[in-house]
Amino acid sequence: MVLTFFDKAGAGVLRAMDTTGDFAVLAGRTFAAIFKRPFDGKNLFRQFQAVGVNSLPVVILTSLAVSMVFAVQLAFGFKQFQAEGLASQVEGLAVMRELAPVITGLMLSGRVGSAMAAELGTMQVTEQIDALECLATDPIHYLFVPRLLAAMVMLPILTAVSVYVGYWGGYLILVGVEGQSAYVFGNEFYKLLAFRDLRIALYKAFVFGMIIALVGCWKGYRTQGGAEGVGNAPTSSVVTSSLWILIADFFLTKLLLV
Amino acid sequence: MALIDVVNLSKAFGPKVVLSDVNLSVEEGESLVVLGGSGTGKTVLLRNIMGLLTPDSGHVAIEGKIISQLSREELFQVRQSIGMCFQMAALFDSMTVFENVAFGLRRHQKMTEGQIQARVEECLGLVGMKGTDALKPSELSGGMKRRVGFARAIALKPKILLFDEPTTGLDPVMTDVIGRVILDLKHELGVTTITITHDLKSAFIIADRIALLFRGECIACQPPAEFRENPHPVVQQFLRGDADGPFLQDPPPPKRKEAHA
Repeated sequence: MVLTFFDKAGAGVLRAMDTTGDFAVLAGRTFAAIFKRPFDGKNLFRQFQAVGVNSLPVVILTSLAVSMVFAVQLAFGFKQFQAEGLASQVEGLAVMRELAPVITGLMLSGRVGSAMAAELGTMQVTEQIDALECLATDPIHYLFVPRLLAAMVMLPILTAVSVYVGYWGGYLILVGVEGQSAYVFGNEFYKLLAFRDLRIALYKAFVFGMIIALVGCWKGYRTQGGAEGVGNAPTSSVVTSSLWILIADFFLTKLLLV
Repeated sequence: MALIDVVNLSKAFGPKVVLSDVNLSVEEGESLVVLGGSGTGKTVLLRNIMGLLTPDSGHVAIEGKIISQLSREELFQVRQSIGMCFQMAALFDSMTVFENVAFGLRRHQKMTEGQIQARVEECLGLVGMKGTDALKPSELSGGMKRRVGFARAIALKPKILLFDEPTTGLDPVMTDVIGRVILDLKHELGVTTITITHDLKSAFIIADRIALLFRGECIACQPPAEFRENPHPVVQQFLRGDADGPFLQDPPPPKRKEAHA
């Protein structure tokens, strides 16, 4: 019984190391392939559109909803201490430092990462990735690189959009509903913030973009077993990338805020 | 030196040995047909030739270059001289027929858009699929997809064409059409071909030599006339298409009359 336990534990550790190694190798190959030729501008443009432009509505709506509900909570909380004026400052801090990059990352992992996993997974089980290989085309260069570049560029841009929308979400509640002065809100929102905070938010978004694209592509590329495999790939991609976004967020915050 | 040399090739997936010491060689311009039951390693053989799988032992050499020892860049160079036609065509479903056939040309040849257009039309013409440029793969029937797959494979003017079960799942008429297309390609392009098929009729038309894989081993490899006369019981059973004999590992269900008795 003890041996069986150690057997199972050992197999689990080996499997985990195998998976980590596989991801690391594919990620390394993707970064190495970024500067390889031929450069496929059309393919890259399509990914910019899929990752960035098409994600705008969902990012705007979620950022608006989250910043509004956060403002409601802050207004309610600070009212208990007759400190309503602090609500806009904390709203600014929360939106810029955490809500905008994390919400954008999580939404994009659901919208874009899962789509990447499903698309590459379908290509894998229908032998389209083998067909690419046979046409002397490196699937890492053709499929992974444009998606990675698009996610690394678009996530920071979408995060900036999210911060802007977050400002107006807070404005709607704190000025529109709670009756604070628009002029005061405009000043207070940025009071606790420095330019460094925007930079940190964009760094975070950049890393989240990397995680989303690499995990999505990796899960799709390693799909096995027909329809069931294709069904599992996006789910697994969203769970894994969301988890890593939250873990990376903790470490990035700890590192960059020092 | 043969154009394709398969030397002592063995491949297993876990405990299941799929290919065991297979030796084959294909001369330039020759057409080899590989027959065998389902799961006897025919597709694995082609995937080893393309470098999509790495052999456990032995090797595959194309023009003397051992595939498993090449770097990625060298492998891609060799692959440009091989056209692979997949069992289910494996067309890129997000692209049109034109974009599928033009894919290799755009990536590997410095051609103008006009030259690409002309080459794609030429390739589609060779497989009898002219005028389908703007269609998506989902709008094509099974036989049409395979022929577009052939057109994509020949676009880069390869020296070698590999066909993986090109007629499986097609009706007898379309099977004959595909057989003729393969024969036309062979004669018009002068390419070396390896075709994997279950269809004996087209196999005997296409082949210069026929090989039979049985339980991972190549038990016969000879011209069609000699193959027909081969006394090996497995060859004869395969040619007869009879369930009784040494071909199946598990005994087949009894015939209906015997079952009643």
